[in-house]
Amino acid sequence: MFMSILGKSFSRRKGKIAIAIIAVIMGAAIPSAMFTVSLDISEKVSYEFRKYGANLILVPKSDTIQVGFPGVEFGAVTEQNMINESDLWKIKTISWRNNVLGFAPSLYQVVKSGEGTNEQRMVLVGTYFNKEVEILKPYSPDDKKIFKTGIKSISPWWEIDGDWIEDPNDNTGSLVGINVAQKLGLKLGNTFTIRYSEVPDDTANETEYVLRVLGIINTDGYEDNQIIVNLQVAQNLTNRPNEVHTVQVSALCNACPVDVFAAEIEEKIPNIDAKTVKQLVSAEMSVLNKVEDMMMLVTVVALLASALGVSTTMTTSVIERQKEIGLMKSIGAENKRIASLFMTEAGLVGLVGGLLGYGIGLLLAQIVGISVFDSTVSPRLSVLPLVLAISIGMTLLASSLPVRRAMKIEPVIVLRGE
Amino acid sequence: MGNGIIVTKNLSKIYGETKALQKANITIQRGDWTSIIGPSGSGKTTLLNMISCLDTATSGSVIVNGTNVSSLNQVKLTRFRRDNIGLIFQQYHLIPYLTALENVMMAQYYHSIVVEQDAREALENVGMGHRFDHIPSHLSGGEQQRVCIARALINDPKILLADEPTGNLDQKNGKIVLDLIKRLNDEGHTVVLVTHNPDISKKGNRIIELVDGKVTKVNVKNS
Ligand SMILES: Nc1ncnc2c1ncn2[C@@H]1O[C@H](COP(=O)(O)OP(=O)(O)OP(=O)(O)O)[C@@H](O)[C@H]1O
Ligand SMILES: [Mg+2]
Repeated sequence: MFMSILGKSFSRRKGKIAIAIIAVIMGAAIPSAMFTVSLDISEKVSYEFRKYGANLILVPKSDTIQVGFPGVEFGAVTEQNMINESDLWKIKTISWRNNVLGFAPSLYQVVKSGEGTNEQRMVLVGTYFNKEVEILKPYSPDDKKIFKTGIKSISPWWEIDGDWIEDPNDNTGSLVGINVAQKLGLKLGNTFTIRYSEVPDDTANETEYVLRVLGIINTDGYEDNQIIVNLQVAQNLTNRPNEVHTVQVSALCNACPVDVFAAEIEEKIPNIDAKTVKQLVSAEMSVLNKVEDMMMLVTVVALLASALGVSTTMTTSVIERQKEIGLMKSIGAENKRIASLFMTEAGLVGLVGGLLGYGIGLLLAQIVGISVFDSTVSPRLSVLPLVLAISIGMTLLASSLPVRRAMKIEPVIVLRGE
Repeated sequence: MGNGIIVTKNLSKIYGETKALQKANITIQRGDWTSIIGPSGSGKTTLLNMISCLDTATSGSVIVNGTNVSSLNQVKLTRFRRDNIGLIFQQYHLIPYLTALENVMMAQYYHSIVVEQDAREALENVGMGHRFDHIPSHLSGGEQQRVCIARALINDPKILLADEPTGNLDQKNGKIVLDLIKRLNDEGHTVVLVTHNPDISKKGNRIIELVDGKVTKVNVKNS
């Protein structure tokens, strides 16, 4: 009987119910998007954080030269500095040197490969594999003179199909990211040609270089779009001897005084900034926090607007059905039965609106993810119950006033009205 | 006398300036058909609403079936009404989107449990067995009033209160409804019927006349 009263009163007022549902959708979509984005992005960030073997990144200090007159800035020119490869051994001379498990430099260059329409651009990265670094002035006489390091100690978690580059003097071996291999149709053992010109797209002055695929890497990160070779290969190809762009340093210890590490390295090697990965991640996190704050604000506003919408529709519904409510009371319906009828109605509106709002929120989350974080956002089912709780709770709350009004209806008065 | 099924003592209802009912002392006997007659505005509906526990008195008391209803709170009043009183309205007051059968079942639902078979029998009992699935707007006035009576009867109340039950009906349909009420009275239901039509009032074996909120006359027909 309850269902029949509910069902029929619903189908009779499709328009009003639709308006109420739309109001709930508006209120539910925003929190749905917010929770999805913040869950997904923070998980991605923390994944990146975890997967970083390195906890320090060394980058050259960039001299920014202000252009313009005093007080009037036209802009800034950043001079691209490099780190000297010959300084890297100094990392092993800090007082915390025994905690430095390894380091690996990176020298980046965009190169081309493939012919005609199949031409692809990708990043060539030169780094260390099994590199023996000579420690020229050891911190103490007991320290080893030779330190063996390479990318493998920084990123041991890389999934490699095939082999790592084992020989530090291998001038043709390469690790190819899975996306690169797919685009160029490369298999293990294949050789392929990369082209490089100092001025981009200067085809007349291109240098060609032949590489061999030793391994295909799959990291779910940037590496999937890169070709990784021994550092000297990249240096020779681009004619930048002794230069590297960045250095990843893995310093493992419990409760790392990683800031102290950074300061010491900065002292030993001139003109570099040692950034802790935590700093890098926290930049991303602070963007996330700002976006979350903003979305929280929008959520509150959206929920208020939506509650207002629901409340108005429910009030109209109660007024329209005054006579019916009065009659139900006169034939024996207690207030709580009337309330439960309206609350169930509200709950259903909240449920349907919440479900649809969740869906629309996922779309919103994509838009926010792509435009703010350059990252697609995967749907999170765990957000659904939260969104439903919010939307149903909001609907019930918004309906409580109209329902109280329904409970106050006096049958004598409405039944008298002709 | 004295131990009637409905007894009012100095019952008054005042709306602001209007004394809708003044110190009414009425006794209605079990099994009687009592007609309440009087001109428009004389307080007939007011009196009936207080007997049916829809409204509370300004002063005085109403005792229905031994219970002083003036002392009951809202929830208890509702329960008392649905157990003891069947209401028949001039405007029928059926739920427009429910079928005849569902309208009757709704009264079962709010009383206790829904037994569809009983609801069907109640409609058959008022000659509406062929109209179970019609919604009110597809029924004639007389038919709607019979659905209303079936609904009033479904929980087996001892008292039937009817306010101008034939007020919106033509003579033929009015007769059907009055005959039906007569039959229910013969079957043992106590009937209180409000009307301003002297002919209809004569169907009762007791007539109470109201003028300006005061009981002016009580006629008892010898049966
Ligand atoms: N809610 C109310 N507020 C103010 N005055 C009211 C209210 N209800 C009834 N009255 C007044 O009380 C008096 C009695 O009204 P009541 O409805 O009982 O008359 P009635 O005898 O049923 O009339 P009718 O034959 O027209 O139905 C009238 O003067 C009416 O205007
Ligand atoms: Mg009246």
